[in-house]
Amino acid sequence: MDRMFPFGFESHLSFYLVVYVLTLVVHVFLMAYVLAGSLWLSWVTLFPGGDSIPRTKQPLARILRDWMPFALSGAITAGVAPLLFVQILYRQQFYSANLLLGWRWMVVIPVLVIAFYLLYVVKSKVVSRMSLLVRLGLSISVAACFLFVAFCWTANHLLSLDATVWPDAYGSGVAVKSRVAVTLRLLTWIFGTFPVMSILASWQLRGMRSRTTAWDSAISESDWLPFFNADHRRLGIVSIVGMILASLSAVGYWTTLAPSVRSVLIGNMGMPWMLIVVASVLFQIVGWLFQFRRPCICNRWLSAITTAATITLVGVASLREIIRLSQADLDQVISATKAASDVGGFELFLIFTVLNVGLIAWCVRLVSSRGQRFAAQTKKKE
Amino acid sequence: MIDIYPVNDYGPLMPGLVMAAVAIVHVFLAQFAVGGGILLCYFQWLAMTGRSESARVFVHGYFKVLVLISFVLGALTGVGIWFTSIQVSAPTIGEMVFNFHWIWATEWTFFCLEVVAGYCFYRYHDQLSDRTCLTLLGLYAFAAWMSLFWINGILSWQLTPGDWLTTHAIADGFFNPGFWPSLLFRTIVCMTLAALIGCVVVNVIPVLSREQRQELIHKAAHLMMPMLAMPILGAWFLFSMPADSRGWVLGGSPAMMLFFMISVGASLAIGGYAVVGLWLQKLYINGATASLLLLLAFGATAGGEFVREGSRKPYTVRHVLFSNGIRPEEVAELRIRGCVTNNPYPVIHEKTLPNEMVTVGAKVFRRQCAVCHTMEGSNAVAHLTASWDADQMRMNIAKLQQTKPFMPPFAGTATELESLVQYILWVHDGRPKDWRSESEPDAIAQIEKWLDEAGTEPADVSSRTTVQQLPVATARQSVSSESEGSAE
Repeated sequence: MDRMFPFGFESHLSFYLVVYVLTLVVHVFLMAYVLAGSLWLSWVTLFPGGDSIPRTKQPLARILRDWMPFALSGAITAGVAPLLFVQILYRQQFYSANLLLGWRWMVVIPVLVIAFYLLYVVKSKVVSRMSLLVRLGLSISVAACFLFVAFCWTANHLLSLDATVWPDAYGSGVAVKSRVAVTLRLLTWIFGTFPVMSILASWQLRGMRSRTTAWDSAISESDWLPFFNADHRRLGIVSIVGMILASLSAVGYWTTLAPSVRSVLIGNMGMPWMLIVVASVLFQIVGWLFQFRRPCICNRWLSAITTAATITLVGVASLREIIRLSQADLDQVISATKAASDVGGFELFLIFTVLNVGLIAWCVRLVSSRGQRFAAQTKKKE
Repeated sequence: MIDIYPVNDYGPLMPGLVMAAVAIVHVFLAQFAVGGGILLCYFQWLAMTGRSESARVFVHGYFKVLVLISFVLGALTGVGIWFTSIQVSAPTIGEMVFNFHWIWATEWTFFCLEVVAGYCFYRYHDQLSDRTCLTLLGLYAFAAWMSLFWINGILSWQLTPGDWLTTHAIADGFFNPGFWPSLLFRTIVCMTLAALIGCVVVNVIPVLSREQRQELIHKAAHLMMPMLAMPILGAWFLFSMPADSRGWVLGGSPAMMLFFMISVGASLAIGGYAVVGLWLQKLYINGATASLLLLLAFGATAGGEFVREGSRKPYTVRHVLFSNGIRPEEVAELRIRGCVTNNPYPVIHEKTLPNEMVTVGAKVFRRQCAVCHTMEGSNAVAHLTASWDADQMRMNIAKLQQTKPFMPPFAGTATELESLVQYILWVHDGRPKDWRSESEPDAIAQIEKWLDEAGTEPADVSSRTTVQQLPVATARQSVSSESEGSAE
């Protein structure tokens, strides 16, 4: 543990850690979009603002409503890979925490099913004509479902870290040992989802500027422009506020960690990542502030912020693993990954990953070329 | 080192039932997703080649159903199966993940393709050319079927690991003796389910006339024609099974045979209706009949899955892991060291138990029985042993694999077995406050004798006379020398 994560371990352990962290980051990107998006939709339903078009019908809310079912589907699918590798790395911890939470863990599935269908309901045109109370109820229900799932994951993760509390947790049925730790860690993740959602939504806003006729042909592209700019600005603010609050919550969570864990975090293993996370967060804040000075979304800055956010997520995921490894039975983790590395099939995975990434790119290309044709056709009609 | 996990009590429900409920729903939906892709490709081709104009309307309506049911419930029950498997038998799912994690990861890449291709079609089909639509549907169908291909290898490995047991090569495990018959059989099931759901969907699309509906139903029935090959594939699968497992299905276990017959009967009914009614006589089926056939298909799926799960007994992974999560090679060690010795988890409601011996018995029950049994709920041990006296119970449990060949051998010490007997007897007696707290030396000696006679190997009904039994005396020797070695 004297070198930067994930170096300094046996190669097989480092390898599985890298695969786990990278697949987790992909999942977190989509998960953040869904969680922060649902909270944002609840917010704008409650506070529709005084503009000529209520915020619920402004570009950001429209895009979020439209894309959230797909994002949830993507988040669940992307979540399968880290769920697989966590079972290789931390089988005993993960299974024990699952079992100790029992039905409180299993209930995550029906809650997600409910949330999924509610997303389709929220998206439907029928609901947009319903009363504020119904729309608010639906939006809050969706957000509450995702918050509950986030809470369960947090409780599960924290429980999995400390094997010494498992027998007591089993006997007493009390799975959450420290409510403060759970709350602060949960808040870190919840606030941290907003910057990620802001980036993904910004890219979508940018892409939708020339396709507004699909929303309402009575409103011209130029009339939509102020709303796009306002939403863009709001996303920047939400992102910055999210990062500040997530950082404060993370500092609070830090205080709940054992001194031995903290020493690993500020040691050779964790310190480089701490610095990387701080630097990339600062870069994102500066990036958004630069964006504010421009009339519209700047492609270059958005790309830079996206890169910084990706680095932040990789850093946070790495710190998460450093905390876990500092509390785990390292010999057990090493022997588990050593044994797993002797099992064949990796070449197969590589081949099909390349093939399927290519096919996915082909799907997107097929649809993107449709987009250009569709835009050309629309302009011609006008 | 043996992994020890906490065990949950689901009241009157045994964990296996919870697993079965989630698994059957997931299998049904996942097979619908796979067959749905094939059906949609066929109908898209019919529409774009002018063979059926109404097929276009159907494709769009059907895909909405596919997205709303399969993408949502199918995907989430898939994750749910993982979670449920952990609840039921963490060692089993751990073993599967460990040995096939790259296969699972490969399957995941196909999930990603399935979701992207599916959503591209779902969102943009009305703005795409026919050819592009067919391409997307083709990719979706390919990805969905490939997900079946990968998971089929892992699931069939559980029952028929084949040469993998000696080579441990992933190819041997994946392309095991049950792989091909299972894959082909399941593919036909997928197509049949998709066609039946197609018949339901056709009946609820309002813009279609009666003639159009009839035409679409007959086209959908084309996908049910491969059912004619089911008897051959079923027989192939049956003969790929180990002889003892086949024995359970073909009469050795009344419950398993009953479910097998339900599955066969329901499949025959659907196949008969498809071939005679829809194919030969060109009959029309309304929504109610289509739903009824779908219900039968659900029954067939449930029966088939029950048989598939049940026929593995006493293993969850044949020759690798017993249904209670104990490995065959661990039995001898546990006979010496005890199965609850290092278990840190207390018994819930321990204060209601009268003494330490009964508490140990409750722990033994939790460790060795609770996966498939409850004490007084479903498949209740108290009920199954109600007519046994104490000695009979001692002998039947000590020789468990001979008492019932689909049970694993008892994996604990004689004292633990006696504690389990006392726990069961205490329940039989209505859980009194006072109960005998010490075991009789004669009873323990007799249990030890019976355990030695039974050996540590599972029963092999197909070659009962040639069963290789590891004498416990030998095991004791090896464990004690191991302990001495580690002490040094």
